Parts: sequence; structure tokens; C-alpha cells
Amino acid sequence: MTQQNRLANGGLIDRKRQLTFTYNGKRYTGYEGDTLASALLANGVDIVNRSFKYSRPRGVVAAGAEEPNALVQLGATESTQVPNVRATQQALYEGLVAKSTNGWPNVQRDLMGMVGKMGGSFMPPGFYYKTFMAPASMWMTYEKYIRKGAGLGRSPTENDPDTYDHLHQHCDVLVIGAGPSGLMAALSAGRRGVRVILCDEQEEMGGSLLDSRELINSQPATRWVSDTLDELNQLDNVTVLSRTTAHGYHDHNFVTLHERRTEHIWDRATPANGRPQVRSRLHRVRAKRVILATGTHERPLVYANNDVPGNMIAGAISSYIRRYGVVPGNSLVLSTNNDHAYRTALNWHEAGRKVVAIVDARPSPKGTLVDQARALDIRIISGSAVIEGKGTNRVSGACVAAIDPAAFKVTGKVEELECDTIASSGGYSPVVHLSSHTGTRPQWNSEIPAFVPGEVKGMTPVGSVTGVFDLKTAFDTALSAIDHALEEAGDTSSSKVTEAPQVDAIQEGPCCALYQVPHTKTTLRAPKQFVDFQNDVTASAIEIATREGFESIEHVKRYTALGFGTDQGKLGNINGMAIAARILNRSIPEVGTTVFRPNYTPVTFGAIAGRHCRDLFDPERYTALHQWHVEHGAEFEDVGQWKRPWYFPKTVNGKKETLDEAVARECLAVREKIGILDASTLGKIDIQGPDAREFLNRVYTNKWAKLAPGRVRYGLMCKDDGMLMDDGTTSCLAENHFLMTTTTGGAAGVLEWLEVWHQTEWPELDVYFTSVTDHWATMTVTGPDARKLMEEVTTDVDLDRESFKFMDWKEGTVAGVPARIFRISFTGELAYEINIQANYAMKVWLELFDKGEKYGLTPYGTETMHVLRAEKGLIIAGQDTDGSVTPEDLGLQWAVGYDKPFEWIGKRALTRPDTSRKDRKQFVGLKPKDANVVLEEGAQIVLDPNQSIPMAMVGHVTSSYYSAHLKRGIALAVVKGGHERMGETVYLPMADGKVHEAEIVSPVFLDPKWERQNV
Amino acid sequence: MSNIQEFDCRPDSQQGAESSLHWSYQNQKPRSPGQNPGVQIREHALLGHLTLRGGAIVLDEAVRDVLGTTLPSRPHAINQNDAGTHSIQWISPDEWLVIVPGGEEFSIEAQLRKALGDAHFSIVNVSGGQTVLTLSGEKALEVLMKSTSYDVHPLAFPVGKGVTTTFGKATAIIRRPAEDHWELVIRRSFADYIYRWLLDASAEYGVTTS
Repeated sequence: MTQQNRLANGGLIDRKRQLTFTYNGKRYTGYEGDTLASALLANGVDIVNRSFKYSRPRGVVAAGAEEPNALVQLGATESTQVPNVRATQQALYEGLVAKSTNGWPNVQRDLMGMVGKMGGSFMPPGFYYKTFMAPASMWMTYEKYIRKGAGLGRSPTENDPDTYDHLHQHCDVLVIGAGPSGLMAALSAGRRGVRVILCDEQEEMGGSLLDSRELINSQPATRWVSDTLDELNQLDNVTVLSRTTAHGYHDHNFVTLHERRTEHIWDRATPANGRPQVRSRLHRVRAKRVILATGTHERPLVYANNDVPGNMIAGAISSYIRRYGVVPGNSLVLSTNNDHAYRTALNWHEAGRKVVAIVDARPSPKGTLVDQARALDIRIISGSAVIEGKGTNRVSGACVAAIDPAAFKVTGKVEELECDTIASSGGYSPVVHLSSHTGTRPQWNSEIPAFVPGEVKGMTPVGSVTGVFDLKTAFDTALSAIDHALEEAGDTSSSKVTEAPQVDAIQEGPCCALYQVPHTKTTLRAPKQFVDFQNDVTASAIEIATREGFESIEHVKRYTALGFGTDQGKLGNINGMAIAARILNRSIPEVGTTVFRPNYTPVTFGAIAGRHCRDLFDPERYTALHQWHVEHGAEFEDVGQWKRPWYFPKTVNGKKETLDEAVARECLAVREKIGILDASTLGKIDIQGPDAREFLNRVYTNKWAKLAPGRVRYGLMCKDDGMLMDDGTTSCLAENHFLMTTTTGGAAGVLEWLEVWHQTEWPELDVYFTSVTDHWATMTVTGPDARKLMEEVTTDVDLDRESFKFMDWKEGTVAGVPARIFRISFTGELAYEINIQANYAMKVWLELFDKGEKYGLTPYGTETMHVLRAEKGLIIAGQDTDGSVTPEDLGLQWAVGYDKPFEWIGKRALTRPDTSRKDRKQFVGLKPKDANVVLEEGAQIVLDPNQSIPMAMVGHVTSSYYSAHLKRGIALAVVKGGHERMGETVYLPMADGKVHEAEIVSPVFLDPKWERQNV
Repeated sequence: MSNIQEFDCRPDSQQGAESSLHWSYQNQKPRSPGQNPGVQIREHALLGHLTLRGGAIVLDEAVRDVLGTTLPSRPHAINQNDAGTHSIQWISPDEWLVIVPGGEEFSIEAQLRKALGDAHFSIVNVSGGQTVLTLSGEKALEVLMKSTSYDVHPLAFPVGKGVTTTFGKATAIIRRPAEDHWELVIRRSFADYIYRWLLDASAEYGVTTS
């Protein structure tokens, strides 16, 4: 295919480097430097999509981020699919594959288009809600087809093969936008040596200068751009980020930038020097000062059939001609309300194509550019506007008439001009999106007329975003903004004052306010006048919305979908507001704007996730013995961020044990012989200081005054509401030295809790807390044969049951490594918990297995640990408690010291009448009547299974297991008044209609005299 | 009996000792550094780590006598002895991290305790719980910028500074003991995650490990 709209020369493209690409299955060529949109226009592709609601054919309208129509599905393979890429922002590369996102079965022949054409007038705003409301059950069916017809691209069904990441940046000055004012600001700040980041979303930096007709220092503007960029790139203190969109402006000048690093090169991020490259990167910038140089978006005029392909915004046509050497048509009618847009007609004329007429809404336009057009004998029709476009798949003509914008009516005869392109310009809207992200409302400036950014602390808008459009002012405001910003920051060095370059003065006349162009028919009867192309919102839809009572602009937005989607109202919002204002007889600032939210343009999920995905999604914490567990086939359980061995399945007769089989075997090994657990994840806090003991007295419910060095005590910790928060043992290492253990999940929270109370309530206590969780590896050797094994691995510890009693700890050597050994038990069996400096843990662990094999030393995981402790009625804080359970509810009143001298945490709450109610949910054991039943954890308990629904629920199961040792199911539960209900029968109705029966028993199912741990 | 249990948890024999990254080295496939890798990662395994808590005025003299360097009193400062073998870092207004050659930690703890006498302080041996990585190469700074929201630019992070901050989704102490390299002090249980993070974040620049 030939590039029929490509000029022989001119533009910033490289005609020597031809690129081939595929669009909707067809091959085309373009050049290096093209965007996908410019290449499509060069090839004369008029229809790039079907519209969202009415399925009307749509062409390229704009040349940048504001493009509402040319959304494509990009990607050559399934895993590299990217939805909703604006063709105007996608650089062309060799082999690019793209499809229109809309149109079913295709853009040229579209089924939904029939709906739009025939049913157009029957599709008012809210059409889908109103029509497909009933029956509600059918909505899923309707929706499937509506979505298929309307859809905006699709996500890939395969994993993204590329990598993404985040980069945290800090700078003195962040300049957003590399147009004239942005470049000037960055240069001035850069020369003064402060840390500068300059970002721009486009393929090339330069902004409006890339297609400017003006000279800077008597040279083409692009020359000044490249000189400036060369200097900026030389400066170490300046980071220049091209293809980088500032997409979110958050509190305290925290701005997120999305840098597309490889998307202009190929479908995938190709490795460089054999190293994988990052596809796109999210820069998280904390800037002392933000220079907002985001420029403007040109507003299209709203006239009938303004969406037929061939209707474009004026400035976009200039971009295509001057940047890409593409004239997207043969004969042009320009409809404008300002001087600036005359450039489009001049560019079109210079490209050798026909300018049919410039239709200017102002009665007597005058200015430098108007004079230039007149000098070229271009017909200027003043006081008029294009009121309607002709054509279906491409513009074939423009209806022009004299209008009175203020009275909103056509005042003259309609003349039809033959043309294939209509350019329109309704003025320039500053890109206020980013400043609005911060919550500030944009301010109305009646001179331009448009909204300009509201005030944001630490942000200075410069250039055309301030509503001043001439080049000289852009440079000047940029320079003074930097001087002012750095002065405020205390930098008064003026050694490197930067001067604004020389530019020619251009006289421009004032523009007139024009948004919707009046038609000879009323808005409701005229052909559709589109306001928001992406969401198919017309002027009549806004009128209907206001008539139906949606007067607030936020309501209008939600009723019509104005400004939704990836578009975020870039082209349509001001026009929509102006129309609402006209109908409501209010001023535009009275109607106000909707809220612009991040993101400015869509950001790929990959960039948001960054490196936090796959095996780096969340930290996995490992104990010092993790490798052994992996090598021995452990299945792991997540406990907080820790990976703990859950169980160690063995392969028996070629078959791997199930969880139940492995746990039964592990449980019996501990009860009958000997088992070993890696308990390293338990939180451990070293406590030192003369007031350590007093501190423990205050944070634990029980007494610590008499705990002697060498002894260990179980402690309960409550929150100030008297509810159990954490539990564990604390050992007295020396008079002023304790080692506290916490639950695995509670470790960080408990340390913080201790610090908070110490720092805020009791700073007078001399005590320090230090986490030693990671320093010590902990191995629990437990079972009737535990002492035998310990005797083999220690030489210097007297293990005699009388001299090394239950709840004693001793220091000694285990397998040649210094160790602290604690005789505490979470299994109810004889147990030794050995603490080893983690670097030497593996050595000791291996030695224990070496010597323990003959005793049948069996490694067990958390599941077996849970069963064993449940057989003994030992609680797990967080499983059997839920923040509403007191120590007394748990039957642990023996561990509460009401007569301690100091008011410990939770005491006051525990003396309230509510915490001593007899009918509180209390911790009990449940014995299912059928021994084979294992109750469901969480199952609700009722006293009468025959009562009517809703039944009165008196409690629930907190833990439940099959006990291989007891050969029956056992459960722990909380039941209202449970302590007084021993022996009573309760019922557990299940979702499947079964009702289980269980007897309330003591939670201690095994060895009620606690003899086994003292053997 | 002393009011504090002093306990030397390091065995005489270092046979079978495993650093926090022992398994990670076996588990992570070797990287292809290519020409001129931009990042070098090196572990300083099995050093002595002590957490020192107390008032600055209380600790200062003892630290000077025992470590041969003054207690850093400025926030985020690290002081080292001349040989660079012993360092002490400000962690919080009453907390410092002392890092010494492996095996010296217990005697240094004992000397400090002796010098400090009856003052209120705490010294905790945390040598098993953390390890030190050095990060060097021309892209080391970028790797840090990928990993932490703290400002690590040389202007904001001069030599002699160290901070406890976020690292990926974990935490680490980031230190800059010299012009040409950075140190990370990382917790044992998070070491594998941080190591994998570093390898992944460095992949685009090329990375060597030792």
C-alpha cells in the first residue's frame, strides 16, 4: 500500500527507515519517527474504530494523549496484548501488530452500527439501564452482548513475560512537560545545580515547538529544542525522562511517573547485552517543587456530525503535517474562534493542498496570522461557523452559516462547502488534570476562556497551562518560576542566570467564547453533536440529562458518562460544562468542573506492580533450618510471612502420605517416642534492666515478682480492654534479664506494644527490649524418649528430672554448640526447647537426627503441633481467641494476679461487670458423640436443634482435629456459660442439613494430671 | 551472680556454621554477569553484631575505650575505627549497632559491660540474626533506588551515614561506609527475599555475587 497522504519532505520522520506494521490484519508501511496514528493517516486509513454506544465510524481526531477514538489493542502475541493504547501515543516499530478495540465483527462492517443508526434516537442517556433493567436475571445475558459490541480492548489471557519496576526519586525541581516553558525551566534549574527531573509523555521532547512555525534565536524552534536537550543531558544533576507520563499527582508533591522504556522498540522488552530489560518503570518522585508545564489541549467545536472521520482538531492537523509529513486529506475547511488555529490552514496550504475556507466565529478577525492567510488569498468567512459536517465514513462537505454565539442561533443562510477534512478549534484548555489530582479545584479564567490550575502548595504552573499562550511569556514565566522557587528554598545564587531566547512577536486578536455551535434545528432534533467522543455523549444527551433533573455537573457526568473512561474528559469536559451551563442559564464557573482523578492516562498493571510479583510478591521468611525442611519434602504453611513446615509427608509403598496420614504418624511419634519441631519462628524479646521485672508485672496479667533466675513462667498479655492479646513463656535469665517469647504472628506487634507502653506511659522504668527472634533458632525435642536423646547430645547439663525440672531452663552445650535449654512443653510430653545461635543451628539439628534416628526421632510440623496442644487444651492466641476473650473466659484465672500492687494492663477492664458475666462465651472442649466426626472449625453451636430459624447460637468451634492418639475427633470451642455446662450436649447444624451432636467437656482431653511432661 | 546473664553463644569451632544466605547461594541459579557487570554483591558473613542501648552520655566513654571510636551522636551517623573493622551506628536516640569481626562480639560485650558498670544500658548479641551485604558497582545506586523510598542520592546520603528503612517489602539498614560501596544489614529470616530482590533488581545491569 502506498502512503498517499505522506509529503515528499518535511517532518521529523526518517524516510530512509521504512517500517512495516499490521493493522486489523492488513500490512502497511510507515517511517521511523511515526506514531501508529500518523502512519495510519499517511496510508489514508479513515476509520480506526467504532464508537462506544452508537457504533459510528470514527477516525483519528487528535495527535496526543487526548485522542478519544484511535484506541487500539496492541500486541503480536497473546501474552503481550495491551488494551486501549492510543495510536497517537504509540511509536511505530518494525512488525507492530494492532487491532481496533471496537467493532464487531469489524470496524468497516459493524453490526452494532445498525443499532446506532436505526435506534440512535431511541438511545437516550441511561438507555442501557432503562432498557435492560428487567428481568434482572437476564442482565448477565444482555451484558455479554452489549460488552462484546461496545468493549474497550481486552486483557491478555497469558502471563506477561516482561519485567517492570519502581524507582524512588527525590529532587528539588520536577518539571512536568518538555514544551518551551518546561525546557526553559529545566535548563534554568539545571544550570543552577539543583536536582532536576524533566519528564515528557511524548516520543520526542519539545511539545508545541515540534510543530511550531516560529523561529527561536532566528533558527527553527526544533534547533533550540535539541540544543537545550543536549545541554540538559550533559548535566549530572538533571534526569531527563522521555516517554514518561506524569500520571498521578498526590499529596506533598509526591508524583508518580510512568516511563515506557521499550514499548517504542518492540512487542516485548528485548534483552540488551544479554541482560533482561525493564519494559516500563514507575518513578515515585518526591519533589520539593513541581513545575507544571503540561500545556493545553485544544477544544474541538461541537457541531452536527462532528464525529465523522475527517473531522479533526486543528492543532492535530498541524502536528501531522509538520512533525510527521502527513496531510490527512485534500481539501480543508477550518472552523475556529481564535487566531492560533490559523496556523493549521497555513500549514495545509504550504503542504500544497487546498484550503477551502477559514470559517471564523468572530465578526472581524485580525492579527498577524489572519494577515498571512489573507495574503495567501485564503477565503475567510467571518462571523460564521461550520454548523454541520456531511458524509458518513469520511467528511464530504461542511455546512457553514453565520451565527450569533451569545444568542445561540444561526443568523444567516447555510452554505455547503465541499471538502474532505474539517478542522475545528474552540480554544485551548490548560491541562489542569494533574493539579486537580491534589484536590484543588481549577479556576475559571474568562479571558481564554477556560479553567487554569488551582493553587497547590509547592507547585508552580508555567507556560500555556497558565492561560498565556505566547512563546515569549512562556519562557519568561518559566525563568521567573525557577528563580522564585529556588529563592524560596533558600538558594539565592544568581551566578548562572539563564536568559530567554529571542522570539518574534506575533499579534493575536482575542478569541470569542464558542463551545456548541448553534444549528438551524434544535439540539434535540439536529444531527448528533458530539461532546465526548469516547463515551458517545452528545449535546442533546446533556440537555436531556439536565431536563431529567441532573443539574449538578457530577450528576450529569454519571448519567451521561461524560468524561469517563481512559479519556478522562480531555476533549469534551469543558464543552460539556458549557452546554450544561447554557441550558441551566448559569455561568461555566457556577456549573464547575467534575473531579479529575489519577491516572491521567492509563497505566499498565505491570508498572503498578513493579517487582512486587511472582516470588517477590511478599517476603518469605525462612528459619535457619529451612533448607533441611525443603530437602525432606515438607509441605509449608504460611504463618504471617514465615514459611513453616506444615507436615512432613513420607512416601509409603510408593504413595505420598496425605495430610491426615502424616499428621497421625507424627502425633503418635511424639506421644509414644520422640519428635522434633522447628520452633524458631516464635517471637523472642531480650529484656534487660533493673525494672525489667516490674515491667513484666505491668504488661502480663500474672505475677513475676518471685520468678527466680533459672525459672520459666507462662504469661498472658491483655490489651487495655482486658481481652487476651498474646501469650508465651518468659524466662528469668538473671535478676535483671529476661527472655520473652511471643506467638509467631504476634512478635512484631508485641515488641511495639512494649515500646509504646515504655515510651509513653512508664518512661521512668529502666528497661530495654531487643528482638532476638532471628538470632536464636529454636528446636523442640519432645516425647517420652526426649531425655535419652538429650543425654547423648549434651555433656554438661544435668538432665535429671529432679534437678532440671519442668519450667526450668539451663545453659549448656548441645552438639558442641552453646545452648539455652528450656524445659517447657506445648505438647504435654516431656520437652526440651533448645535455643541455638542461628548460624550454628543446622549443625545441631543434623547432630540431633544423627543421634536420634535410633529413637525414631520424627520431624513434625505445625499441624501436628496444633493437634498435640489441642489434646492438652492449650490455646493458640488468634485461633482460639479473637480479641473478645478474657483470660477468665479461657479458664486461666490462675494466671491473673488481681492483687498485684500496680495496675497492670487490662486489669481495670477485667473488673467491669461485663467481664464477669456468667454467660460469657467460655472456652471448653467438645467431644463429638460420633467419635469419627471431626467438627468444622467455625461451626456454630446451638442448644436446641429443633428451634426455628434463626436459631440462637451460643458459641462456635475454634479448633478441631482428629486425634490419632485418642482415636476420635476432638474440638475446642467457646460456648456461652460453657464452664458451668460440663457434660451437657450441644448441637452443630451444618450447611448440608446434618446436625452434629457433641458433649461439653474439659478442654484437657489427655492426661488431666499433667504427668506426661514430668516423666 | 551478675544481674545479667552473659552468654557466649558462639562455639569454638566454626565448622558447619551457616550464614543467613547459606541456602540462597545453593538455591539461586548463577547469574550471567556478562561484560562489566554494573552491580557487585558480596556478603560479609558471620560477623559479630551487638545491639547497644542506653543514653549517649552513659555509653560514650566506654565505647571510645573499647571500640577505639567515639559513639556517633548525630542521627544516622556511623563511626568506624581506622582499619574499618569495627563500626558503631546510630539507630535511634538510645540505640546503636556495633559490628565487629566474628568472634570478638562476646569479649567486646564483656569489656563494655565492665566499663559501664552499674549504669543502665543493655547489650544484646544479635550476631545470628543478621548479616551484612556490600553493594558496589556503577549501578549500585539505581538498585538502591529501586528498593527503598529513602533518598540515597549522594547529596542526601553522604559517606558515614546509615539508616534503618524499607527495602522492597522488608526492612534493612542501609549504610554508606565509603565512597565506593554501600552496606546492607539485613535480618536472617528476610535475607533470602532480599537477596532474590537484589539479583532481580540488578539483572538489567549485570550482577556478580561472592
